[in-house]
Amino acid sequence: MKKYAYFPGCSLEKMAQSYHMSAMETTRKLDIELQELDDWNCCGATAYFHVDEILAYTLTARNLAMAEKAGLDLVAPCSACYKNSYFTNKNLKQDPDLADHINYALEEDNLSFSGSIAVHHLMEVYVHDVGLEEIKAKVSHPLKGLRVAPYYGCQIMRPRKDHEDIESPQFFEDLLSAVGAEPIDYPGRLRCCGGSLILTSRDAALNMVYILLQSAVDRGATVIATACPLCQVNLECYQQQVNQEYGTNFSVPVLYFTQLVGLAFGVPPKRLGIGRELVSTEEVLSYIEEGEPYE
Amino acid sequence: MNEKVGVYVCHCGTNIAGVVDVESVAQWSAETLKNRDVVVGRDYEFMCSSLGQELIQNDIKELGLTRVVVAACSPHLHEQTFRTACDRAGLNPYLCELVSIREQVSWVHTDKSAATEKAKAVISGGVERVLMHEALEPLQVPIHPATMVVGGGIAGIQAALEIADAGRQVYLVEREPSIGGHMAQFDKTFPTLDCSACILTPKMVSAGTHPNITLLTWSEVENVDGYVGNFTVSVRQKARYVNIDACTGCGICWEKCPKKVIDDVYEAGFGQRKAIYTPFPQAVPKYPVIDVENCIYFINGKCKACQIFCPTEPNSIDFEQEDQLIDIEVGNIILATGFDLFDSTRIPQYGYGKLANVFSSLEFERMCNASGPTNGDIVMRDRKTTPKSVGIIHCVGSRDKNYNEYCSTICCMQSLKFAHLVIERTGAEVYNFYIDMRTAFKDYEEFYQRVLEEGGHFIRGKVAEVTDAARTPEEEGKLIIQAEDTLIGRQRRIPVDMVVLSAGLEPRHDAKEVAKQFGIACSANSWFIEKHPKLDPVSTMTEGIFIAGCVQGPKDIPASVAQGAATAARVLARIQQGEISLEPVRASVIEEKCSGCRICNDLCPFTAIIFHEDRMVTEINPALCQGCGTCVAACPAGAITGTGFSDEQIYAQIDGLLMLNLEQPLEAVAG
Amino acid sequence: MATKPTFRQEISNLLFAAHGEPLKTCIQCGTCSGTCPAVEFMDHTPRQLIAMINADLKDEVLASNTFWYCASCFHCTARCPRDIDIAELMYAVKRYSIWHKTYPEDLIGPVFSGAFVKTIIRSGRSYEPVLATSYIFSFGPREFLKEATTATSMMVKGRIPVIPPRIKRLDNFKRVIGRIVPVGGPK
Repeated sequence: MKKYAYFPGCSLEKMAQSYHMSAMETTRKLDIELQELDDWNCCGATAYFHVDEILAYTLTARNLAMAEKAGLDLVAPCSACYKNSYFTNKNLKQDPDLADHINYALEEDNLSFSGSIAVHHLMEVYVHDVGLEEIKAKVSHPLKGLRVAPYYGCQIMRPRKDHEDIESPQFFEDLLSAVGAEPIDYPGRLRCCGGSLILTSRDAALNMVYILLQSAVDRGATVIATACPLCQVNLECYQQQVNQEYGTNFSVPVLYFTQLVGLAFGVPPKRLGIGRELVSTEEVLSYIEEGEPYE
Repeated sequence: MNEKVGVYVCHCGTNIAGVVDVESVAQWSAETLKNRDVVVGRDYEFMCSSLGQELIQNDIKELGLTRVVVAACSPHLHEQTFRTACDRAGLNPYLCELVSIREQVSWVHTDKSAATEKAKAVISGGVERVLMHEALEPLQVPIHPATMVVGGGIAGIQAALEIADAGRQVYLVEREPSIGGHMAQFDKTFPTLDCSACILTPKMVSAGTHPNITLLTWSEVENVDGYVGNFTVSVRQKARYVNIDACTGCGICWEKCPKKVIDDVYEAGFGQRKAIYTPFPQAVPKYPVIDVENCIYFINGKCKACQIFCPTEPNSIDFEQEDQLIDIEVGNIILATGFDLFDSTRIPQYGYGKLANVFSSLEFERMCNASGPTNGDIVMRDRKTTPKSVGIIHCVGSRDKNYNEYCSTICCMQSLKFAHLVIERTGAEVYNFYIDMRTAFKDYEEFYQRVLEEGGHFIRGKVAEVTDAARTPEEEGKLIIQAEDTLIGRQRRIPVDMVVLSAGLEPRHDAKEVAKQFGIACSANSWFIEKHPKLDPVSTMTEGIFIAGCVQGPKDIPASVAQGAATAARVLARIQQGEISLEPVRASVIEEKCSGCRICNDLCPFTAIIFHEDRMVTEINPALCQGCGTCVAACPAGAITGTGFSDEQIYAQIDGLLMLNLEQPLEAVAG
Repeated sequence: MATKPTFRQEISNLLFAAHGEPLKTCIQCGTCSGTCPAVEFMDHTPRQLIAMINADLKDEVLASNTFWYCASCFHCTARCPRDIDIAELMYAVKRYSIWHKTYPEDLIGPVFSGAFVKTIIRSGRSYEPVLATSYIFSFGPREFLKEATTATSMMVKGRIPVIPPRIKRLDNFKRVIGRIVPVGGPK
């Protein structure tokens, strides 16, 4: 039983609740315990960094300090939370003066940052810590060659320059293959979905979403898999607006990778939060090969 | 002691005099160090000038000086100057010591009075040390008249020819089956658009037939022993499995060979060869080699088509042939092993290896070459379709902290050449994507002008990505190059049929191992290091080893040829003198004190240490030793001493620096 | 005697915590702008913005919409051949702009960020319905309707939070913030 400090992030409460549900269902099956960080606060997303950099670091440092107290590595399902946590961790470790400054503030909550834990994106847990062999072994309802477009998005990889494959990662495809899906190769997999621009600069964000959807559809994707709540909302909930703006008629379901893994593990769709989408996922469900019924 | 020491303090204009009170220091030396055998202290504006040197020389003659201390700049610059000046005046040059009061005093301190005091201390140290110096004679080492050139590209060939033409023996060692190097792969050369093979092959033929050149192709250096003038190099001549005494180079064997292999070397992966092959038609020598990893006979004992069809009597194919290990004695070695092309798969966003119609520069050269896999036709990956538009990307893997920070110097000209060839042969639209146009040398800028006149499009912007994801009907079925056209400030997507990547030049993948083998140094990015980047680009810090061509850094053919010729001149000068003088500043082992612990053996960066198993003592080879002092410091028994940097000399200098010599006689302190 | 910092120095000072290479090493190659997915909507490309900062054209930089259109995708940073963190630079210019209140009036970005920060200081978490108010009213009637439709669909599927969340140790949290920004947070 491997344990992690789980930092769900603000979106997973309601907006991306299905991500949370499917993460819980699937990690449980893989003997992973995601212990929710008690009293976690918002990571600051991008907006906080627009206002005050050090304060933004402090927000994330509080979460890191709490994970350190629990003695567990931090796992974030949301790419933005992941990126903020990873880089706060890294920058504070490299800059003791900055860490000192922030620790002075954290004293008020009886916390202290020391850089003793590591930060992971939820997908890393599946791919690196659990490993594809074990995941394959747990598949009871392979996805029958479902054509999935793996959408990495931006912040799961960038701006980490220490990772050698940031322009050509394969781990998401490997994960999808392990559960019986057919990952498709499409050029938009590393492009941006627009993130918070969907609210502040809608025209640009809709354009980015349009290009992404077209890119996936052109290569024959049946469903797009994501690893970040912002990406999922932008790609799915705003498809209607993209259609209106660009005269297209996209109707591509967008699911979290944990939901697809959950389906392959035989978890009933409802328990994975399937059914809360704005774009119907009926077609996806028809791809699940019959296997052992879920206990 | 009873020596006569002259102290000379240089102003160096205001470099020293601006911070240190040089006149008072000179005076102080003459007065305060009088009982330390100093008989004269002078200051002068530029000691290194002829007049400055004359001051010293006159004093040597008139005052009978037996030691000289010059307080000026770093010994790196003028130690030789002052030593030679003393030599000319009849004083042994090693009795002259140069102490730095510029780099170590005036250039690093701002407090003038403190700096002046420090200068006095430095001079005091120099005086104490020089009193311990001995007259030394340089080591004379004979030079073997033969030379080895490693690498048969244009730089190596040039060097070999010049030495051979001067009547001296040359061994030209080349790893591939034929000499020629990368130049043999090119189609045309910039800026003249000469056919590369046409200008190269005459030199190759000369090298192959020259009575003074022994060609050792399909060979590699395995071991290097010895030192300048006396190297013994072990060369492995790999088995060709072809008897070169019988073979006529008729080519029937490779015609009949059934096994095709992708040629990764000469054809840059763009074309094929057989398991028995010569790399190209004008190969020198003409004898083929068998690639044992791909030859059917060597894999499973079958086939033997080459042997069956070989027309010569006796048969030229000899499957039993073995590698030959030859020991060759030479006096000097020239390394001209060239470069490797940057691997463009390292930049996934350019699509090399994934998108079919993206080509590397060497692949494109082979395509343009008339004897290449497409007979010189510029066609797409399907080997049929002529492209209507071609994009040429500069700076692939160069000028980039993510890959190689340096500029590869030749790619802009090469890209222009490609643009010209495409326009000339296909009339296609050509787009060059560049950051800066580097066309610095003779006729290069004019060539750029020419391509502009021929209608090439130039977009200033480093390419962000090459993709096949079409967004508009015009982009369907094309490769789209996305870049910011910085001169108009807009991101543009240019659809083209074909993309050529002007990939950068990198050191050979085994450069570090090769450098170690020859005992020379590599820079951090593995180019071989020259003795001085401005004034001595073809020598190395190791006497007797020279470098020429791209092994020293990216450069064009004229520069490689010039360097090849330069190394030949150096070598010939050495050979002609018959002997070389080596600096006598070296370490030596006091045998009686050596316990045979061998701690020093692996520490020597110049592999100058030999261990005698029979006597259990270490000996230092004076010709290889550069006097770095590492072994001297490491020896736990203090058994190693350095001529020119003995323990006594260094302790004396320290005492002088601490001004202990002034309070009491030195002997009482040294203990 | 102290010298007035150039605009570039001021911006570089705002890149305090995120160490990046200095802007002065930019060779203006254009990789960042060639990569940027939002560049079509920017009045200056990221590369041009850097050139303008280096040329001390403070007012023009601050009047530009470039950095407000940055999605923080970090692709420019990943590819820059001089290792300059351009996305982080965009954050720095945003911070400068908000701090000195130099942003154009009709821009949603700064208003949204301000509302976001207020929500977090108040409760430790973000809350979409309150955030929505920061931008929805600057939409024209057509866009307002579209957004209302999207929001309604999401609400029907149970994806919009109703009760605003709060962290438990909110008082401590506010004191933590107080030690960083003495007056208790930006206004």
